[in-house]
Formats: sequence, structure tokens, C-alpha cells
Amino acid sequence: MATREGWKAKRSVLIADVEATRHSFVTVRQSVAQVFAMRSMTVMLIAISLTSSAFADPPHLETLARGFNHTVKPFLENYCLSCHGKARQEARLDLSAFTTITTVQADLRHWELVLARLKGEGMPPEDAPRLPSGQKREAMVKWIQDLRTYVADKNAGDPGLVLARRLNGSEYDYTIRDLTGVDIRPTREFPVDPANVAGFANSGESLTMSPALFNKYLDAARHVTDHLVLMPTGITFAPHPAVTYSDRDKFAVRRIVDFYLAQKTDFAEFLAVSWQFRHREALENPELTLAAAADSHGISRKYLATFWDLLHDGKNQFGPIAELREKWDALPAPADTSVRLPLAECREIRDWIVAERKKRKFTFPLVMIPQLNPSTQPGVLWRNRLIAEHRRKGMLSDEERQDEDLRRAIERFCRVVPDRFVRIERGRMNLPFEDQNKGRFLSAGFHLQVGYYRDDGPLYGMLLSDEQQSRLDELWRALYFVTDTPLRQFQDYIYFERAEGREIITEAEFDFARGEDRSVASRESMETFARLYVVAVRKRNLDEEAVAVIKRYFIDMSKRIRVYEQARVEAEPIHLQALLKFATRAWRRPLAVEESRQLLKFYCELREEDELSHEEAIRDAVTSILVSPLFCYRVDFAETENDGNRLTNYSLASRLSYFLWSSMPDEELIALAQADSLQQSRVLLQQVQRMLKDDRSQALAIEFAGNWLDFRQFQNHVAVDREKFPRFTDKLRQSMFQEPVHFISDLIRRDGSVRELLQAGHTFVDKNLAKHYEIPFAADSADENGWLRVDHAQDYGRGGLLPMSVFLTKNSPGLRTSPVKRGYWVVKQLLGERIPAPPPDVPEIPEDEADLRDLTLREVLRKHREVKSCAACHEKFDFAGLVLEGYGPIGERRSQDLGGKTVDDSTVFPDGTTGKGLGGLQAYLVKHRQEQFYDNVCRKLLGYGLGRSLMLSDESTIDRMKQMITENKGRFSSLIKVVVTSPQFLNKRPPRPVDKMSK
Amino acid sequence: MANSTTSFSRRLFLKGTGVAMALPWLESIPVWGNQLATKQPQRFAALFMGNGVHQTEWYAKGSGREMQFGNCLKPLEPLKGKVNVISGLFNKNATGVGIHPGQTGNILSGVSLQKGAVLKGGISIDQMLAKHFEKETVQSGIVLGCEQPVTGYHETNFSMAYSSHISWRNVSAPMPMEVYPSLAFDTLFDNQGSRRMRSILDRVKEHANYLSRQVSHDDRLKIEEYLASVREVEKRVQRMRDLKARAEERARDKSQPVFTMNRPDNGMPEDIREHLELMCDIIAIAFQTDKTRVASLLMCRDVSSLVYPFLNVRISHHYASHKDTEIEYERICEFYCRQLVYLAQKLQSMPEGESTVLDNSLLYFVNNMWSGKGHDSTKVPILTVGSLGGTVRSGRVLDYLERGDENRKLCSLYLSIMDRMGVKLDSFGDATNRLDGF
Repeated sequence: MATREGWKAKRSVLIADVEATRHSFVTVRQSVAQVFAMRSMTVMLIAISLTSSAFADPPHLETLARGFNHTVKPFLENYCLSCHGKARQEARLDLSAFTTITTVQADLRHWELVLARLKGEGMPPEDAPRLPSGQKREAMVKWIQDLRTYVADKNAGDPGLVLARRLNGSEYDYTIRDLTGVDIRPTREFPVDPANVAGFANSGESLTMSPALFNKYLDAARHVTDHLVLMPTGITFAPHPAVTYSDRDKFAVRRIVDFYLAQKTDFAEFLAVSWQFRHREALENPELTLAAAADSHGISRKYLATFWDLLHDGKNQFGPIAELREKWDALPAPADTSVRLPLAECREIRDWIVAERKKRKFTFPLVMIPQLNPSTQPGVLWRNRLIAEHRRKGMLSDEERQDEDLRRAIERFCRVVPDRFVRIERGRMNLPFEDQNKGRFLSAGFHLQVGYYRDDGPLYGMLLSDEQQSRLDELWRALYFVTDTPLRQFQDYIYFERAEGREIITEAEFDFARGEDRSVASRESMETFARLYVVAVRKRNLDEEAVAVIKRYFIDMSKRIRVYEQARVEAEPIHLQALLKFATRAWRRPLAVEESRQLLKFYCELREEDELSHEEAIRDAVTSILVSPLFCYRVDFAETENDGNRLTNYSLASRLSYFLWSSMPDEELIALAQADSLQQSRVLLQQVQRMLKDDRSQALAIEFAGNWLDFRQFQNHVAVDREKFPRFTDKLRQSMFQEPVHFISDLIRRDGSVRELLQAGHTFVDKNLAKHYEIPFAADSADENGWLRVDHAQDYGRGGLLPMSVFLTKNSPGLRTSPVKRGYWVVKQLLGERIPAPPPDVPEIPEDEADLRDLTLREVLRKHREVKSCAACHEKFDFAGLVLEGYGPIGERRSQDLGGKTVDDSTVFPDGTTGKGLGGLQAYLVKHRQEQFYDNVCRKLLGYGLGRSLMLSDESTIDRMKQMITENKGRFSSLIKVVVTSPQFLNKRPPRPVDKMSK
Repeated sequence: MANSTTSFSRRLFLKGTGVAMALPWLESIPVWGNQLATKQPQRFAALFMGNGVHQTEWYAKGSGREMQFGNCLKPLEPLKGKVNVISGLFNKNATGVGIHPGQTGNILSGVSLQKGAVLKGGISIDQMLAKHFEKETVQSGIVLGCEQPVTGYHETNFSMAYSSHISWRNVSAPMPMEVYPSLAFDTLFDNQGSRRMRSILDRVKEHANYLSRQVSHDDRLKIEEYLASVREVEKRVQRMRDLKARAEERARDKSQPVFTMNRPDNGMPEDIREHLELMCDIIAIAFQTDKTRVASLLMCRDVSSLVYPFLNVRISHHYASHKDTEIEYERICEFYCRQLVYLAQKLQSMPEGESTVLDNSLLYFVNNMWSGKGHDSTKVPILTVGSLGGTVRSGRVLDYLERGDENRKLCSLYLSIMDRMGVKLDSFGDATNRLDGF
């Protein structure tokens, strides 16, 4: 009863809906299917497993109709109606309305109950005036089961009612990640989404909307939009909010720094690879080319060729080049054919090169214009420019200059070996290098003022390919564009000259220029300023070169400011294009012409009527795209033309991607949808394979398995007493959560068998978990996230899902274990057995094992099972928890409980055999419960994939899935393939007649 | 697409916002939902001036009516009895870290700042209070400035962002500061935020309707559910506007004294005097209409480049501060003191029940240094005006210098102020104790 009350309460909305449909013009078929759509899947399971109809002759309607008159009607009249009839309605059940088979079909929901009660749950009651014979009872049961089989077959493949549903929190986060390219997770403050009867929060049945929740969606959209960055070439998103200049500086600078740091510029490497090329024959690789050698080590082809020539072309055999070649020739030849590069020797030569080059480095005065503030922009930029221009030049003594050959050799050496490939950090340039502050990436080196300086000539010219060069140019362009630096730099200049500039611009004639005001950087204003400034500084006896530099500063700055002003204007239409593209991706389908028009119109209204800036208008438009139901709802559309059932291509693409990735379709899926080929089963199945191999399929492990096995919320698990278990830290909790995620993701990606879930000999651990499990951890073999696979995990009492600490901990109430909860979890979650809720008057067990006095928990439970009414249920699951007693409250292995008593992990299984520990449990499950486990996996997966509770008409699909397990050794993808090629998955239930009429 | 009956002209709406009515608090309070409010709201405004004060002319003696002022503080004369002149307090985390940015970014938070490219500070007292009043006013707080922030680096390797921002919303982010008076005005009276929200909601409604028409009956129910939520949120925005309009009308009908302020012109005022007065007007009108209860105004930045030709000072603020015993800097300090007085008198002219808005406010004037020449932040000059609804005793000269470092923390003063405004904290910045004798 409790179960029934439960689903009733949860689904009142839907029931009301179904109630309404009963009174409208509905075909029998739909009505029946809908009624079953409401059925608790677990109730059905028992009934179905008893029918085994797949192998019997299918029942006919006429036979059933006859049976109704001969068997059912008399049975009702004789044994039921006196309590459940017109006059009396015990348990509010009136069976008198069922006068024909049609009426039964229309309300099978009540007949599930009748069936359950008849099958030995005490109806008619023992004290009833008349009791049916066993034969009559059986006939009645058979008739109901036959009717169910008939209905299931008749409606097999019914897509069912799959309502429009909002993206749940996880789907929203994954979708934003794939839409923006950054993992923002804006739904952190969302309430937990309610699950449907199938146990998943992915259906319209349970996902409702409220004003409070809408506000959260609005905030989430805004939060995402805060990350938006307008680029010269489109729209992108930063991994952090990019609203302020500091944020934007950080974002745009980081991209360039990352690019620089990814370049390999170590001469030792170029030497080593040259050596490999030189000895290619001895190394038995005579076909090796310089380019291939460069590629195989990820170094620049272009520079390797230059460098190789420096070592080899025989020209300029003087001075440093001669010396270098001597060292190079002295490198030992390979000892055997294995490629072991002489790295140590190469490093020695590298160190010599660097030292030799350093001797010829140019130096410049720290302060270029001593009459002005040492940090005045023209002076600092002048110095930066001189340094940059001399990167590939070397200082020569007078003697060296006299000797033509030597001079040429030195010049060539310095040209090929720059004093630096790129300068990434700069402090205050007017200080000696060692006194400068570090960490100011790309900074021009001013004092107090913002500004960047690009000094990467040698890298750019000698190392980068054409493609890399354009990419780097683009990054720099983006830096200036995104951060508005040219303008800000000049505003800061005005500010600085006034605050620190040695009183040059304190005369009234300069008052017009306020650094705060953008108009200070207009062409006219800058010209005026420059003219006055030059006049003012001339009074300080600057030499003409310095004056020229200052003039040039104003011209360059003005030009650059104009360039980016212009770039902004030119980028506006590009941003609008990007906006349309963003909407297309966010809405997961191409925009209709009218939709594009409306979106642009909205932008224009924001600009013109709301007087927003371009950027504000783009941001608001993006926000509106994200709060649109076209984004945050999933609505399936069916083809209207030929086949009224088939999902449209784009609906199918979304259904597929939300099933396997909990996220939006990627470009490939959309392209296939656009090409109208996604519906071909060959293509569909190829996509399934591809998608399961993709990292995004981790969502299946988290969202599907996490909800099925009830660990999805474990990251918030607070029931552990941390004083007693100080090693249960947030980190360990996170690792516990990750264990099944890694295990299942891995299984999915390599297409393993679902059997492994029960009985694998391996698991995955990170450092924390390895420590917790007392498994030696080889950090070297871990993946980039610090996780590694442990084979022979049995040696440590692990392997497969059963002994994972996340489940053992979750099902322990703090200071003791709970064989009841653990066993219940195994039998109910993992195997899918229906177990009624406990009665309200169960006795309490102490919270702490230490409080059990001389009894062990096992003994307390044994006493509990002595009560007959308790035993009926507990016998179904206690066994599975008792064998796990060798694991403590946080899943640690133990031999004593917290009360100091020796633990006993033996049990008597329901088949009467005895067993011990994890091995015993696994052996029992594999031998006796495997079919049940498979059945449950299939039902859960189908329910998740369809995004609704299961119905009778899904039974044939379940059967096919189970068949696949047998035929394909349980391969995970074979189950998925059944789901995605099922008619339920590919179609949408046609609208009801009432809809058609209203159209 | 909204149909013609539901669409509205945003242009028309904008036209009505050129002039803001400043309604006396009692009239405007129902706007913000609390019909029965009896306690008058308390307000807090922080006014910042950088680079220290004049070394010999910034002082006060005596108390109450008998108070006497040095030349810089002479403008306070008419406010005698409402003023406290406090000295000797300091911010330990702003000492020993080098000059300028490290002495400034934590003036209202008391936390230790981080050098280098990543900004790290702490929430400031004004933002703490703003959060507290968030639900009660249209704007949780306003953050204004007369000099744009700069983000270059100082030689101490602190970002100049610290010199530019005194209001911080959390550990890593300063509050965006509004320097354009016209935009600050819009934020308050045009309520740009809610207008933008309305445009977005309109658009979402269009979409939901559009989608609703395309889908089946069952799906439509779900979309309607969404639409209903959107409408509800929209109604809440609308309700705010309606109430405001009604309150204004009521005030006009009763011919109550109504203050008006024209929307400032677009762009940046060229003259700092005009700029400062406009910003003070905005704070005054915001306080009076209870649009917000918390404000901060960066009158000038640390390392300021402002020039004051009208004071006959030809060098910039920063330069002048290096000669902080000269007459030039005395005039500059007196000028900033006058701004405080300007705002105070404006608030004093606004009656509120038996008292004035000034009486219910605390204006807090602070400088990041005592001496600009020595870059000395071992004590900072403070002025307060107003009694915060009778909770702050005024008319006093307080000097904490000799009381020991533990008993002269700026953050202790902040704890004491927040206590009085209903924000009870165990600790703030580097302080756990309240300021003795405030």
C-alpha cells in the first residue's frame, strides 16, 4: 500500500491529466497506454516476470472477452463485490463498474492491484464468508495476466507520453559547457531536481517550473553572460567572469602567455634532434627527413632547418661558429641502433651557446629620457623597441669588426641564436632587470600605467609556421581589442604625466585633458596635446632624437587607437553573425528566417529604444537566448508530413545527445540531422559508437548510474562523524564519489560488459582512495587527473561496484554499519527487487556500534528477524549486508567493529547455502540473481533513455535488451543500440484528436 | 512577437525619467513595501580622499559648540555638534607593505592585500551593509568615483586597482565604480537594471507563446507553466514601478516639499567641482528617497592626478601632497572638507519626521594616509557627520593614538558602526573588538 500511496502522491499532476483524458474522446489504445504510463514500474516487474508470455501463444481478444464473462464476472460477484461494490467500497475500491472487458482495459491500473492482492497478499480475506477455490483463483490470475500480455503486445513500442521538459541542473551545466567551451556550472545554487518514478530527473513528469526557479534560470543565464567576451572575430567565453578590465586583461593575456609557453626553444633539443638526423643511417632510419625528425619531437621544422645549417653548411667557419661545430662534431656517434639521444651532452653545448651569446648582448641606458619621469611612456617604449630590435644582433669589438670573416661568422651566430626568443614578463623597465618585479605578463614595463609590449620577433620570425604566426597575430589583436588597452594606455599616460610627470603638464593649457574622459583620445585632442607637450618639453633641453621619439609616440598611439576604434565598428556585424550562430547552437537547430530577423530586431530595439551600448545589447540578447524556452526546455517535435510519429531530425539529435551526454548535440550530429541521414539506422548506430567513446559519455556514469545507484548526491553526504573518522575529508568524499564514475565511464568507453558491475576484478583509485583502501599507489601510472586502474583488486577486498566505499558509506548511519541498509541497497537498487516500505513501528537500533553492549549488530538483527512479520522482508536482503560487515562505516576494511567485537561476515543466502564476504556475495549473485540484475539494468537504462517511466508496452524492448546481453556478452553498447533503435525512442506519440481539431 | 496590445514603447518610458522627484522618506517608503515602517532608515556613506592631509592645519579642539578647527576643517563650522573628528586609528595591514596601493585597497575592509597580477582583497564595510539592506531598497548600494580606475602596476608590485577601488564586493573583485554622473543617476532613477530585465522578459514571453503555438496539447501545458513563471516575475518588476508612480503622485497631491534633480548631462564634467557636487547630489537624493542606504564616493584616487586651477594650485594632487605643509595642500584639503559639508548640509535640509536625513545618516570621511610626504599610514584622519539615528554621539574630538595598537583599529570602528546598523559580526577585517568610546 505504501508504495501505491507514494506514487499517487508524486504523480498527482499526471493522474489528474489522465483522469481528464478518460472523459474525452480518446481511443482505447491511447488511454490504456496512458494508464500504464502511470504504473509503478516495480509493481509491474513482478507481474511481468510471471507471465513469461513471450513464448506462449498470444491471447486473443475474443478469448479474453469470453473469459471475462465466464470467469471474471462470476468471480467478482461471488467474492468481491460484497465489500468492493456499489453498496460498500472498502479501501475506496468499487469493482462494480467493470462490466465489460473494455472497461477493464480502460482502467488496468486498478486491476494491477486486484492482481497483486489475489496473488497471495490476502484477498479475499480469510474471514470472508466465501473463499474461492485455488483453481478459481488461478483462473482469475491467469485472465488478468493474459489481458496484460495482450495489451502489452498490442501497444508494443508505444512512444508514450514524453512531455516537454526543462533542462535539469546537470543538463544545463553540461550544455553550457559545450555551448560556451568553458565549464561554468551556473546551476550550483539550484535546488535538487525531483526524480520521476523511474528514478531519474529527466522527464516532464517531475520537472516543474516556478517563479522562484525561473529567477534561478535567469540568474544562471546572466552568470553565463558575464563570461562573454567580444572578440574581433566573434563571441567567446572566458573561464571566469569578464566584466571588468582586470578580468579581461587576465583572460586575453593568459591566452598569449600560454601560446608562448607552449613553444619549445631549448637549443639542447634542437641539437639532439639534429644528432638523430645526422646519424639516421646508423640508427637504421635512413629515410628520416629533418622535417619528420622535428615533428616527432614537436619542435619547429623551420628553426631546425636553420639550426642544422648553422651546424653543417660549412660556411662561416670562424669564431663562435667554428667553436660550436667543433663541439657538435665531438658528440659521440650512436652506440647501437636504439635511439637514445645524447641529451646531457647537448645540454652542455646549449649552456655554452647561451653563455657565448650573452657576451654579445646589447645594453641600453635604463632611462632613455632623463629630463622626464623615468617611466614616461615614450621613453620606456623607446627602450623596449631598441631591445627588441637588437635581439638578433651581437656586439662586436673593433678588432672583430676589422676581420671580415670573423665579423660575418659572429653576425650569423647572433642572428640564428637570438639573445632571447620572446620576452614574456616585464617589471619596471627603468630598473635593472634583477630589480624588476616579475609576474607582470606582457606588460610594457611602465610605472602605474597599463600597457603591453610585444617582443617576440625571433620566435615569430624563426620558429613559427605561417599558420602559427597568424594565430599569434590574432591573439595580440584580440588582447588590444578585448581590453581596450590602446585607449586605456593613453588615458593612463595623461593621468601619470599629471600625477608624476615632473610638472610638465600642470599649466592651464593642459586642463582640457582629463584622463577620465574617453574623448581625450580623439584624434584632435591628441594632436593638440602632442603639440603643447612637445613645446613644453623642448624647454627642458631634450635632444632632437628624444623629441622625435615623443612625437612618434603620439602618432603611433593615435594610430593604434584609431585602428581599434575602427575594429570595434567593423566587428559589430561580425558579432551579430556570431549571435545568430550562438542561437542556432543554443537552440539545437537552424533558425527560421523569421527567428533570425526577430533576434536582430531585438538587438536593434535594445540599442535604439533602451539606448544600450553594443556590448550591453549583445549581452542582453545572449541572456534572452539562454532564458528562452527554446534553450532551457527540450521539446520533441514529430514530422508532420509523411509519418506522424517519427521525430524530426533535430529532435532525434537532441534526444540522442541528452541520453548519452546529458548535453546538446555536437556539430557532427547537427550536420547529420541537417543532411537528413541521422535517421538511417547505420548512421545512428555509428553515432552511438562514437558518442560512447567520447569523454562526454561520462555523463552516463554520473547521471544515469549516479541516480540508478543512488550516489549522485554523495558529494553532499554529511552523515559521517568526522571526529570519529578524521580521515573522511571532503577530498576523500570526492574520491569516493569518483570511483564508480571512473569505473563505469571506463566500462562505457571500452564497451565492457555490464557483468563487470557485479564481479569485476578491478577498480579505479586516486591517491586518497588508494590510501583508504590500503592499495599501493604508483603515481607515475596515474592519468592526468590522478586516477589509475587497479587490477587484482580482490587482494584488497575491492573490485566492481559492491565493495565501493561510496555505497558502503552512504548506507551506514554514521557510527555503525547497517547491514539492513546495505543489503536493501544491493537487493533494491542493484537488483531491482520490490520491497515494501517498513512498518512505522520498527524498533530503533543504537546509533553507535559501541552502544550495542555485548551484542553485535548481527545478533541484534537476528533477534529482529525472530519476529515473523519482520522476517518476511528482512530475509530478502539482510544477507547481502551481513557479508559486507568486513567493511566499516566509511567502507574501510576491518576485523573488529567499533565496539571492539570481532566482525563476522558470513551469511546464509536465500537458497540455503552459506557464504562469506565479498567473494561469497558475488558468487551467489552471479549464480542466482544475474538474470534479475540484467533485467533491472535494462529497465533502468530504457527508462533513463526514454525520459519517462516504463509502460507495459515497453516489455518487448526489454526482452530484446536482455537477449542482447546474452548474445553480446553483455556489451554495454549493445543495450544502448536497442534503446536508440526502438520505436519508442525514434517516435513521438501522435497528438490526441482534440489537438488536431484545435489546429 | 508581442502583439500590439501588450507591447509598450520603451522610448516613451524613457522620456519620463529626465527629472527625479525626491520624495520625503515617509511618502516614498510604501514604495518599497513596508507600509508600517516606523523606524527611520539609517544610512551610511563613505567619502574617500587620498594621499594624506595637511600636517598642521587639519585638527580640531574642544567639543560640541566649543569646538575649534584648523584651517582645513573650518568648513565644518556650521555643523559643530554634529561632527566627530577622529585621529589615531589605523589599518595594520596597510602598514609595512610599501606605499600607495597597498595602503588604499583595504581602507574599508582591513584585510591584507595580495601583490601581483591576481587581485585579492576583502569585502568592504559599505558592501557588507549593502548586502544587509539588499532586500529593502531598490539598489543595495551605490559606488561612485570622480577618477577612473587604473590597472597598471605600482613599483611595490601591487596593482593600481587597489589605489582605485575602496569598495569591494568579495575577496577577488572590487565593485564596479560609476564615474559618469548621468549614468549613476540612471541607475537610481531610471532603474536601468529593471528596464533591461523587462526587455528580456518580454522577449522570453514572445518565445514561450511562439513555442506554445507549435506544440501538442500536453507539451503546451509545460510551456504554459514556464510562461506563468515568467509572468509572475514580470509582475513583481511592474509592481515596484506602479508603487513608485503612485507614491509620487500622492506626494504631489499633498503639495509636500518635493526636491528635484535634473538628469546630469552625458559625459564627464570637465570641472572637478561640478563633478563632485553632482555625485553628492546623487547620494543625497538617493538617501532621501530611500533608493539606497549605502554609498561610497571616491572623491579622488590614491596617487591622484587631479588639478585644482580654481584653488590656484598648478600641480597635481599627488605632487601637492608631497609638500603637505605648504599652503597649496592646505587649500586642497579644505576643498575636500567642503565637499563633505556640502553633502551634509544637503541632507540636513531634508526633513524626515522630527529630524533630518542627516541625523539618520553617518557620513564617514577617510583618507588613506596621515601624511602624503611621508606616505604615513600609521594613523589616518577621519571625520564623521550625523548621528545615525541618535546612535552615534557627536561633537567630539577623539584621539586613539596613545591607546595601543590593539585599541585603535579602523576595523573596530567598522564593527561599531555595523552594530548600530543591525549587522552584528564577531569579527571584521583584522578586528574582533569594538572601538572603545566611539
